[in-house]
Amino acid sequence: MIRVGGKEHPWRPGLTVAALLAELSGPECPVVRIDQTYVSRPHFDHTLVPDGADVFLIPMIAGG
Amino acid sequence: MTDYRLTLGKTFAYQRPSIERGYANQTLHVDLSALEVSTRPVTPQMKDLFIGGKGFDLWLLWNAVKPTTRWNDPENALCIACGPLGGTPAYPGSGKSIAATLSPLTGSVIDSNVGGYFGPYLKFSGFDAVEIQGKSQADIVVYVDGIEQTVQVYSAMGLPEDAYTLSAVLTDHFAQGKPRNISVVSAGPGAKNTFFGCLNFSWYDPKRQRARYKQAGRGGIGTVFADKGLRALVARWDAGISVDTNRPADRERLKAVAKRHAREIVALDPKQNEMAVIGTTHLVTIMDDHDLLPTHNFRFGSHREAANLGQAVFRRLFDPGYDGCWMGCTVACSHGVRDFVPLSGPYAGVKVFVDGPEYETIAGCGSNLGIFDPHTVIELNFYCDAYGLDTISVGTALAFATECFELGLITREHTGGLDLYFGNRAAALAIVHQMARGEGFGAVVGQGVRRMKTHFAERYGADPKMMADIGMEAKGLEFSEYMTKESLAQQGGYGLALKGPQHDEAWLIFLDMVHNFMPTFEQKAEALHWFPMFRTWFSLCGLCKLPWNDIIPEDNKTTSEPAKVMKHVGWYAEYFSAVTGRESAPDDLIRMSEAVYNFQRLFNLRMGFGRRAHDSLPYRAVGPVTELEYESRAERYDKQLADTCQADIKNLSTAEKMALLRMHREQQYETLKDAVYRRRGWTPEGIPTLATVRRLKIDFPEVVALLAAHGVTA
Repeated sequence: MIRVGGKEHPWRPGLTVAALLAELSGPECPVVRIDQTYVSRPHFDHTLVPDGADVFLIPMIAGG
Repeated sequence: MTDYRLTLGKTFAYQRPSIERGYANQTLHVDLSALEVSTRPVTPQMKDLFIGGKGFDLWLLWNAVKPTTRWNDPENALCIACGPLGGTPAYPGSGKSIAATLSPLTGSVIDSNVGGYFGPYLKFSGFDAVEIQGKSQADIVVYVDGIEQTVQVYSAMGLPEDAYTLSAVLTDHFAQGKPRNISVVSAGPGAKNTFFGCLNFSWYDPKRQRARYKQAGRGGIGTVFADKGLRALVARWDAGISVDTNRPADRERLKAVAKRHAREIVALDPKQNEMAVIGTTHLVTIMDDHDLLPTHNFRFGSHREAANLGQAVFRRLFDPGYDGCWMGCTVACSHGVRDFVPLSGPYAGVKVFVDGPEYETIAGCGSNLGIFDPHTVIELNFYCDAYGLDTISVGTALAFATECFELGLITREHTGGLDLYFGNRAAALAIVHQMARGEGFGAVVGQGVRRMKTHFAERYGADPKMMADIGMEAKGLEFSEYMTKESLAQQGGYGLALKGPQHDEAWLIFLDMVHNFMPTFEQKAEALHWFPMFRTWFSLCGLCKLPWNDIIPEDNKTTSEPAKVMKHVGWYAEYFSAVTGRESAPDDLIRMSEAVYNFQRLFNLRMGFGRRAHDSLPYRAVGPVTELEYESRAERYDKQLADTCQADIKNLSTAEKMALLRMHREQQYETLKDAVYRRRGWTPEGIPTLATVRRLKIDFPEVVALLAAHGVTA
């Protein structure tokens, strides 16, 4: 099990960030934070989400 | 202990007015030439049209200078203002000061929004703004004591040169046992000896028992400060500040909206960017991932070593604890490094506390110089602050000089024997120390990119065309630290910014390039209208923009305009209404800014550079200058040529493809200018029309005459 934005979400071996976001089917998100690590869209396909992770969807409309 | 002497030269006693709805209703004027201190009334028209903060600064400055005034003329005024909402402890990000003057880099108005306690303390002492004119031969300290209701002018001898020790010494000197009551504004030796000096604004950190500071960095405001003979400007006020101190029109309404925003940040920041833990350092790897992190003088947007400068590193290096640069701010992003020991310069081997680094400093003094060692970045950060140097201009100017060296445009003969290649950490530090002393090649770099281009061409025979393409300045100001090659909207965000390429007007890269929120010219123009206006509003009121869109509501993505975070805009309208009693809706905030924004554009015109030609960019900001840059992203550029330009590129050389791409991209930027000027109500020359200035009620006789002199009569 992982948590996404504080809510529980099922985990499975081999779960990538891209697959997770597809399961969530929300608006597009350019950056996620997995625990204390930030992962950007170019790395979504090959970044695995570990079991027990806290995942946060970072909106990235700010900056500067 | 430093051996110094402060000799009282003038005492001006005044009766402190009570604050009413966020205003003191007077400003303080100090003439350093005549050693005169006086107060001036804030008129209803000033409040109605210019609101406060930067708006007041601009109005005071407009009345102080002439079109012929230069940055180092005595009549140039250095203005610092808070704003009607500034000094509210309950609402996050409400302690900003806004400084403005004529810039030594650009020749026109520069403004900078900065944390620390000075602006609120000044206002609560009885002044919505301070305006300093004249010049002194002696070193001067101006002390505004709101508790005793006096302004004192001291001549100073033997004070520490650098801001790091100076802030500590003066805090101790004036504190009367309560250091939290003191805020010090100071520059440093680098400000005196370069054109991009910054100002340090202090606040006292009771937990760490030391003066901390934030910087008004851009455009050489510190250089003007030092040139006037000012060593420091000090404010004293009782730190026991509450929501009542501003005497808001509706206290309960203010408390309600402040609580809502403060609590939301506490709840959501840990789920979003963790600014209370890592500040803006999260941006480093995110920018790198999206090819937006400037490396090697903005040649490239990513580097394999970027993670060495990322949040994971600074998460470990920052001293844990509360780091709000204003009382009670729940964003609290002003982090620092405790017990840092520099390897070079006057503090070599001495433990110091370094305020920072933030993203801009990491990118400017790190990746853009090819430096990926966090400790060198921290050391550069420390010395830039202590010397009173803007880390952004230092980074961008040094990156330009370094590329000139690598291209052979300048040699060791010109750099005083320094091998100025990217990644040379020792050389970067050596040059910063030279800047502080006004010596060697550091003195040349300290003139800024625009003057360096002339210097290198005229004295060393360097190729002016190449330098025009790679010298990252516009209007004379060095670029801040984002790559814009692939975001036309952000090219506009930099090129069309009033003071020069600083991201505080519009940061549209992600909205444009990653989210694709604005595919058409009209949509980009709309963004380049709305965002600069709303961002300007923060500086009118004495606020930080971070609480607006760096931590956003969880339901923001389902709103009709997520980029604008309209829920928060509504809260800001509520905040403004509650303090000032001037009932305002979100659109009213935009209209407030529009008047000031257009006035600043006209101010530029008055100073000789508010026209279309002045909104141009170096080509490095638009596309690849060298074959190396093109080839490194050939797939991207080839695709654009094929898709957008419908060009048959099969038989073209790289040089031919680059020329085609350049023609296309430069044309796109000119088309964008047309669209933005139309949206802003400006002529095709980039000048506000008479109808625009009338609509905004800034059609003062002097403004109408200025427009007529430039052929604008309708």
